[in-house]
Amino acid sequence: MNAPPRWLGLPVAALLLVIAVLAVQLTHGGGTYAPLRPADACIERPATSQAEGIEGLAERLVLLGVNNAACELGTSREALTLEIAQSDNPTDAQVDALREGLLRAVRQMKADRSLPQASELLDEVLDSADLNGLLERAIRALPDSVVDSALKTDDVLVRAIGNLDIRELLADLDDQDDLERQVTAAVTQAVEDSLRARLRDLVP
Amino acid sequence: MRRAVVPLLAVTVSMVLADSAVVTLALPEILQHLDTSVGQVAWVLIAYNLVLGLAAVPAAAVFARARSRMFSAAGIAVFAGASAWCAVAESIEVLIVARCLQAIGGATALIGCLEQLVAARGERRGVSIWVTAGVIGTAAGPVAGGLLTQAISWQAIFVVQVPFALLAVPAALAIHADAPATTDRHRPAIRANLTLALMSAALTAALFLLVLLLVEGWGRSPATAAVTVSVVAVAALAAGPLARLFHTPAAVETAVGCFLVAGGLAGLAILPSAHLAWTIAPQALVGLGLGLTVDRLTAQAMQMRLPRARHAGWTIGARHLGVVVGLAILTPVFTADLRDARIPAQEAVTSLVLDAAMSPQGKIAVAKALGRALTDQQGQVPDLGPAFATLDVDADDRPAAAQLERDLDDQLERAANRAFRDSFLIGSGLALLALMTLVPVRRRTS
Repeated sequence: MNAPPRWLGLPVAALLLVIAVLAVQLTHGGGTYAPLRPADACIERPATSQAEGIEGLAERLVLLGVNNAACELGTSREALTLEIAQSDNPTDAQVDALREGLLRAVRQMKADRSLPQASELLDEVLDSADLNGLLERAIRALPDSVVDSALKTDDVLVRAIGNLDIRELLADLDDQDDLERQVTAAVTQAVEDSLRARLRDLVP
Repeated sequence: MRRAVVPLLAVTVSMVLADSAVVTLALPEILQHLDTSVGQVAWVLIAYNLVLGLAAVPAAAVFARARSRMFSAAGIAVFAGASAWCAVAESIEVLIVARCLQAIGGATALIGCLEQLVAARGERRGVSIWVTAGVIGTAAGPVAGGLLTQAISWQAIFVVQVPFALLAVPAALAIHADAPATTDRHRPAIRANLTLALMSAALTAALFLLVLLLVEGWGRSPATAAVTVSVVAVAALAAGPLARLFHTPAAVETAVGCFLVAGGLAGLAILPSAHLAWTIAPQALVGLGLGLTVDRLTAQAMQMRLPRARHAGWTIGARHLGVVVGLAILTPVFTADLRDARIPAQEAVTSLVLDAAMSPQGKIAVAKALGRALTDQQGQVPDLGPAFATLDVDADDRPAAAQLERDLDDQLERAANRAFRDSFLIGSGLALLALMTLVPVRRRTS
């Protein structure tokens, strides 16, 4: 039997080289080296925060809320965030979806017991509230059980979300002070409303 | 002087063909310096190749009626003058006109140098020197352009060519070549020239797109990109000795070269990361393919065909019109893909910022800084470095911010790779098409 001609070595070597290069690249993820794809907003994912107290609670609420809103609108959390950030005038559908998403987030956090008790947030609220010194000391002296029975966190949050002007809030995203002012006003109003409602319930 | 004549003419051939892609790495700097648009700056590259491709055959026709050494010297002098004009151009329009003139001088110089080299070294060696000098110029063009742009400026690319070209003028005048044959005795080698055109289009994808990916996509400096793409030039030089080792027939060698370029471009389309090392093996395949095909096809298109200058003109035309076709096909594809890549990249960036292990205040600071950076750098792959350099976050958030910067850069590199993928695959397809043209067609006999 004749030996194969020597020149066959070049095409064979070329074939092996190309196969080897492509195989090594594919086995190292060459076919899938692409940007991160946004997750499906309708699949629940945990919302975590590095912050504690009210700031951490607010962050988790916003993350879950935006995710819920994106699911409602049939888009991704990332696409909705970019649309809101790049637009001066969010649509009514976006505003409604965000409010509904935040309300759903409260229900989700209540269901998975990640919502803190009102007493856990009290000190922080009092630190930032502009209250009469005597009144502040009196409230601080209340036992946690009294605070928690008088104020339900989920009820306060639902009322606060209802009080918020989401459109104005989105317009002021760049102004941190104005943002805080609006949220504080909505939460203060929600606490007052919640307490009034509790008192009304107690009066026969 | 006599000893320097042949090297000077060979350097001229290299320079003229290197100019085909020499400005690739300088385009961003030219765009900025001449305050122009991406569409216009691409014409600095396109105009030269188009005019060189179109002028080569007419130049050969004029050459048949001219005195060989005067013709060569005049072409080289025009090339030198136009190079100097390119260096001092203060507007994109002037630069494009100067590049057109440079290409006319270049086409004339290439035809003239071929005859001068044949007169000085004989038919076989003269043609061989001319072809090899062209391959080296084609492969080394982007490397030289990138290094000069980084070290000095884009104008330096043109300035350095002037003294070499000026020295080559007396070199051309020093050789007394016989009057070239004036009759058309052989038809152009259509198949070899077609393969050459398709391979040139594919090689444009390799060199032009790769340097753009490295500089614009991965944010590497022109010098780093130049050193990286030098792999192509080195591999092209190694191809000849490798082929001689196997005593391969010319047709098989060319087919293998087309296959290697197709494989290398497919490899560039599926890079597993933005690490420069991953580009080496695919580039080596492209370089080997370049070394096995371009000189073989050029020699094949000219072999035993007279008049030599006319057939050399056809090869130059095929090569440079192939480059123009490559640019015409690939530029709209990758610019559209780059534009389309913006949204997935922004979404990936948003996802990482939202989920970053930072305080809410830190995330807001990052989002604001990134928003400004993305607005300032619209129309290009953003460099997030300055945004993070000026970031004002708490000490506790700094490690997370540093990690976030790395993750975001990775996402942008992923987006850039994905944006270039289809263009590399089209380039690979062009090389396979070139391979198809080599398949022998059996004529039906009655």
